[in-house]
Amino acid sequence: MTSSVLLVREHESGGVQELPLGPRQKKNRGGSRARAGRFTPLMLLVPACLILIAVIGWPLVQLFVMSFQEFGRAQVFGAPAPFIGVDNYTRVLGDPQFWAVLGRSLLFCLANVITAMVLGTLVALLMNRVNRFFKALVSVGLLLAWAMPALTATIVWGWMFDTQYGVVNYLMEAVSGQDFSNHSWLIDPFSFFVVATIIVTWGAVPFVAFTIYAGLTQVPEEVLEAAQLDGAGGFQRFRLVVFPYLRSIFVVVIILQVIWDLRVFTQIFALQGIGGIKEQTSTLGVYIYQTSIGGGNYGTGGAIAVIMVILMVAISIFYVRRSLKEEEQ
Amino acid sequence: MRRKALAVTALGIVSALALAGCAGGSSGGGSAAGETADLRVWLNGTDTPDAAREYLKTTFEKDHPGSTLTIEEQAWTGLVDKLTTNLSGSDSPDVVEVGNTQAAAFTSAGAFADLSGIQEEIGGDDLLPGFVEAGSYDGKLFAAPYYSGARLVFYKKDLLANAGLTVPTTLDQYVSNGVALAKANAGVSGIYFPGQDWYNALPYIWENGGEIATEEGGTWTSSFSSPESIAGLKQVQEVMTQASSAAKDGNETDPQVPFCEGVVANLSAPSWVKSSILAPADSAAPGCPDQEANLGVYALPGKDGGAAHVFAGGSNIAVSANSAHPELATDALKIMLSDEYQTILGENGLVPAKISLASTLGTDEVAKAIGEAAANAKLTPASPRWADVEASGALQDFFVGIAQGGDVQQLATALDQKIDGILNS
Repeated sequence: MTSSVLLVREHESGGVQELPLGPRQKKNRGGSRARAGRFTPLMLLVPACLILIAVIGWPLVQLFVMSFQEFGRAQVFGAPAPFIGVDNYTRVLGDPQFWAVLGRSLLFCLANVITAMVLGTLVALLMNRVNRFFKALVSVGLLLAWAMPALTATIVWGWMFDTQYGVVNYLMEAVSGQDFSNHSWLIDPFSFFVVATIIVTWGAVPFVAFTIYAGLTQVPEEVLEAAQLDGAGGFQRFRLVVFPYLRSIFVVVIILQVIWDLRVFTQIFALQGIGGIKEQTSTLGVYIYQTSIGGGNYGTGGAIAVIMVILMVAISIFYVRRSLKEEEQ
Repeated sequence: MRRKALAVTALGIVSALALAGCAGGSSGGGSAAGETADLRVWLNGTDTPDAAREYLKTTFEKDHPGSTLTIEEQAWTGLVDKLTTNLSGSDSPDVVEVGNTQAAAFTSAGAFADLSGIQEEIGGDDLLPGFVEAGSYDGKLFAAPYYSGARLVFYKKDLLANAGLTVPTTLDQYVSNGVALAKANAGVSGIYFPGQDWYNALPYIWENGGEIATEEGGTWTSSFSSPESIAGLKQVQEVMTQASSAAKDGNETDPQVPFCEGVVANLSAPSWVKSSILAPADSAAPGCPDQEANLGVYALPGKDGGAAHVFAGGSNIAVSANSAHPELATDALKIMLSDEYQTILGENGLVPAKISLASTLGTDEVAKAIGEAAANAKLTPASPRWADVEASGALQDFFVGIAQGGDVQQLATALDQKIDGILNS
């Protein structure tokens, strides 16, 4: 979108620059330019849009249709799928398990967004202060965490928290002197989500830190200096100077984190394979997978997925509208 | 005007083509022409021995010059999900192995090609009848028997002797042995029983007269909460809480690790685990070959002596209905059911798919134990929806709850409700 807008502007300015030409010529050339200017960006957008519609739009439509159908494993292999109205939705909304999963997902999302944002911002502020050597060191560390595939990371973390051979139990025993042998970190749902939060946050902090660090470099030094001279402390300078400058960055990063954490799948799914009780630890993404692919109820799973999409769109629209309003002001 | 419009349209088309070109470039070469193909065979876990894999590949490629056969190893965990997504696509694997209790979910859905035409050729009446039944739907064979495996008890001879115990002859004695061994050796599992290992819990239910689920007039009734099943489940709880120091929410994969570490006295596991235990110390998954003399084996004893009803684990093998090369795939399947291939399986401790090849198991004590166990082995309920029960994870959750010392009656009643819901939906 941005590039097409720029294109039009370039053409407009090009037209203005051609003012010195004779009136007849100007009219002709300006006219044809304007027409090309109208269609060229549109035509350039066509392939990208077609691909987006095919890759994202079509599955979404399929999902939506499926959520109104009786769709089981037989339908996957070609049997006709009868329409059953809103049966799937009434079944989902009437299932206490769904509400438990939804509440759990929202809580998990909230905890993770807050943890990742706070830690990420602190790391970014740290990077802004330290010398080049440590800046490079922290960057490399963050990049390694960011580059690690979620599944690999979860399995390695799972080893560390292993009941029998985990290094965490070993260290806890060495430090606290209490018996941690055979302590299961995943069997208790709360403890399970603490481990999951560690893994998810570990993977999310680099993105938050890098983005906010990039923003921090754009905060004018002199404003900060002036604030300091006026007697503003470190926290006040962050709250009253840095934060307002970075507000839009924070909004975007928070939206992305909310979306990523709400639909979290890999970490939870892999952890459930290592230990814990599935029924007490499923989040929305995993629950959809269990219902549709594991249980063979694609229709019901589709209904949950549609509900989740609506939820996410609502959250996104709320934040996007807020940020747009702020920009206008 | 018109030329401009044309040029603009052309621009759109060209950029679309350019993008399509990028996409096409990454997907690589086209499909092979003629009768040759690159066949993909899915085998699960490390159950199929390397010698058999090698035999399948070389035999197939020799019979079909120009074609290749690649074995892609899949994990047993989450297999139903993975097969559902992959078999339904156009990029389906050609030959797939499926757990015998999972087969019905796919035979009933039309995921497999009909094998009735070659049933006589691959063995006919010689094929294991329980597995033929598991792979049939509507009177047609869709998934041929591949191998059967019996669950045996591996034990450390020295630990048993030190505690003054002998090989148990009844299930009760087996349990009391386990508890005594755990008491006598701190940190050792008298009987290794991780919480998610529901396969190993079934004999306790069956031996106490319980059933998993029964069918009457088309309606399934799950019966984990029947008095007989509860008696068995209480015994399971006793073993899990008093005899086992395995993770209460752990799964049954890689039991050779704690066994070789020396913290397991009795290990109930599929017969092929023997080769994992005795794997060379320098292999990718090292075992403890130095323990061979100390490694004993017996068939799990029943309530009233003799061999217990254990879970008849094993696999079926099928050709995907979406295979691009059904004829070549069927040829590969025929090789896997040939006497030569099945003999390799038998020699490696898997019960061959053909009754006539039972002697290939040999005559050592493992073979003897397999023979005893297989004679009394039982299957899970023969419902097409049973695979969904397994995939839902409800059984794992249930036994983790039991391992934590939860109220057996209450947990079993809740599980019955859940299974009834799945089997009758």
